[in-house]
Amino acid sequence: MTTISKNNLDTIKTCRYCPMCKQACPSAFISYRESDTPRGRAMLLHSVYYGEKEYTASAIEAVYNCFVCGSCMSWCAGFEVGGQHIPNMIRFARKDIVKRKMAPAIVEAIKTSVLANNNPYQIDQSKSFSESVTEQKAEVMYFMGSEINYKNTEIAKAVIQILNKLKVNFSLLKNEPTSGKMLDMLGYEDEAIVKATELFKRITGSGCKILLVSDPLEYDGFKNDFPKWGLTFAADVKILHLSEYLAGFIQSGNLILGKTNEIITLADSEFLGRFNNVFEAPREILKSSAGENFVEMRWNREKLLSTGEAAFTFNDRMFTQGDKLGEKIGIQANDIHCKRIVTLSATAKNNIGNHAGIEAIDIAEFIAELI
Amino acid sequence: MKLEQNSYMFDMVLFELQDIVGKDYVSIKSSDKEVYSVDYFWIPEMWHDRQKGRDLTRPSADFIVHPANAVEVSKILKIANNYKIPVTAWGGGSGSQGGALPVFGGIILDTKRMDQIFSIDQNSMTVEVGTGIIMKHLEWELERFGLSTMHDPASSNCATVGGFIAHRGTGVLSTKYGKMEDMIVNMEVVLPTGEIIKSLPVPKTACGPDLNQLFIGSEGTLGVVTKVTLTINKIPEVRKFRAFIFKDLATGLRVGQRLMTEKLQPAVIRLYSEDETKEVIHKVLGIDKKGAYMVYGFDGRKEMVDMQLKYAYEIAEEEGGEDLGEDLGLQWWNNRYKFFFPPYMFSLPQCFGTLDTVATYSDIENIFNAMKKVLETKYPQARFIGHFSHWFNWGCMLYARFIIDTPPDDPHEMLFLHNSIWNDALRAAMDAGGVLNEHHGIGLKLSRLVPELYGNSFQILKDLKKSMDPNGIMNPGKLGFGL
Repeated sequence: MTTISKNNLDTIKTCRYCPMCKQACPSAFISYRESDTPRGRAMLLHSVYYGEKEYTASAIEAVYNCFVCGSCMSWCAGFEVGGQHIPNMIRFARKDIVKRKMAPAIVEAIKTSVLANNNPYQIDQSKSFSESVTEQKAEVMYFMGSEINYKNTEIAKAVIQILNKLKVNFSLLKNEPTSGKMLDMLGYEDEAIVKATELFKRITGSGCKILLVSDPLEYDGFKNDFPKWGLTFAADVKILHLSEYLAGFIQSGNLILGKTNEIITLADSEFLGRFNNVFEAPREILKSSAGENFVEMRWNREKLLSTGEAAFTFNDRMFTQGDKLGEKIGIQANDIHCKRIVTLSATAKNNIGNHAGIEAIDIAEFIAELI
Repeated sequence: MKLEQNSYMFDMVLFELQDIVGKDYVSIKSSDKEVYSVDYFWIPEMWHDRQKGRDLTRPSADFIVHPANAVEVSKILKIANNYKIPVTAWGGGSGSQGGALPVFGGIILDTKRMDQIFSIDQNSMTVEVGTGIIMKHLEWELERFGLSTMHDPASSNCATVGGFIAHRGTGVLSTKYGKMEDMIVNMEVVLPTGEIIKSLPVPKTACGPDLNQLFIGSEGTLGVVTKVTLTINKIPEVRKFRAFIFKDLATGLRVGQRLMTEKLQPAVIRLYSEDETKEVIHKVLGIDKKGAYMVYGFDGRKEMVDMQLKYAYEIAEEEGGEDLGEDLGLQWWNNRYKFFFPPYMFSLPQCFGTLDTVATYSDIENIFNAMKKVLETKYPQARFIGHFSHWFNWGCMLYARFIIDTPPDDPHEMLFLHNSIWNDALRAAMDAGGVLNEHHGIGLKLSRLVPELYGNSFQILKDLKKSMDPNGIMNPGKLGFGL
């Protein structure tokens, strides 16, 4: 058993019966079950950590059904007084579940795949985009993350196209390893630290000065988890999301995008936005092209609806419900008569997909089209 | 029928339920049984909290089912009748009265899959929805068109339209726009025996008793409302507020009564007792004044609102109110939900309850004083605060609360104390001309007091229940109806 912090105990206690954020919880939209609400999860954890009951398999499932998106926090009027960090509560619970050797089979399977293949999809490493990379010393290191490296390679290609057009000296990592972020989110902190340490050595060994990331989960890992584990990059190494990096080029006039006459909108990222406060950089890029044709969806910035970035499993299966989340976002986009939703992660692009005739396109692809 | 989970009969019934709604929408998981055994009623919360080291259990459902429409609800109820299995409807699970608790086990019928918006008729100013929709989601959709039901309680974050119908819910704008019961045009209902019926297309007819009124407030004991047509309104051009401090509660009540009876049509009047002004208003809004805080608000076209505010101001001034201005009134409005979030909301281990009642203007102050006196004399460990939040032409609603900061630790002792306070306070209210509740409903919490409230007219309700629900499966143990 892992020692639970006072903060997490307080969150459990505060949230265990409070129903006030139910309307915001995306996992509850999908299953309609009370155990898939912030209150439900807090109540189940209260039984364990206050009531000293054992974890049940279904309580564990409820813990892993959480999308860790923080939507509950944004909607809680009590949050302003510093309470109720439900994502932290869930992440602690997962660590404790793993320590108790009670992780569900699907979660164990993801871990095994990540450790063996550097991705959760059980795809052999030889099939990764980075398998054919030739590493070189460069100022900019572009880190893809496994979803782009193994599934959405079109995003990597778009980023490379942009960097080449801007004549940026960059490199990728050959056979890019996992950062451990997904392992940590699933509760395997020890394994995550091992993987993070290996990656950290490779990145620092490369001598890069900019660590460029296009996956918000990975961005959050580098920014927040690595330092917690003593893996702090040198002061002159910047960790930037692609949007932050390219917004700098736009500000200096070195990147000029063609104009788009289509109405476009942005699906904010929970890990980039809500957890790391990166809201303006993507907007700056999109507005430089679309001007007034950039229209906000109704629920944006801190009040964004989840795109499912950390929704790895649901009801004991690899997450298959992204479509339902995407539908909610598609409806918002339809309301504002937009034709394209620009997304900030491969997960968001895959989940939002093509609803109601609206195209989801990654920000890298959007920029590559117009550069 | 009592079902043991290791019995094949359990699996037989489970199979029938899965056959109706699909495997994904029936749960027998322990996590769901646990979470569905506690709504927002203080007793199961307290019981859950105190389970460490004690042999305490809570009644829980055998099955949790999520039907998609009235046809599926009908089939479920027919099975329940077949096997005599209790059925308890669950919307948002945010009721404070225990109305959604499966106290005799059986089936929890979670309505939230019935969350479609079928039509918005901007000519008739109505919207037809599934009753499982969370109110806030409905409002988000209506807002796209510049519309709103104007049903705006704090619980709209989590409660369903069906839940509001079940217990006659109300919202902060009820003084102008009415309670939920005033917004209903027609309903689709599944009767306890499984028939699907519709009420007449419109209310206010001269075609005999209004069937809507049979089901509104029936808390799931006479059937399951699956669809409803509600009135909607255009979002007003402006909504403005003003706040005052009056020297005492009596003055504030007089001001409220005048605002209503002089037909100024306020959207909101909220009057706080001196104690609640000191305790809650100070904590949440930072206003540190002695007396009774009032905020009122008007909405509509700007010129009309300004005129209404002018006349309201004259009344408040005549009654000696200290003007706190528009900003402190608007501050109350902007923070109106904050009172229900932690850390502002009362919470365990405190013992607390909302003793809401409603009465005529002639009786309401006496009721307040009678309840206060009972609490102060019999339960000196309790604080008593109150505010008046929903106003009618003939009277207003009292939202009173008792709070005990350090109640007994023993759960049995605590339950006894809790129920004793409720009994004594509400009996004092009834003796002074009040009723058991105004908008939270009866549920389990007050079920034992319903026969006292109705006297010999309760027999009418019992006969109705027996006729409509001959096997007694619908939400037993609630609203005064036994098993």
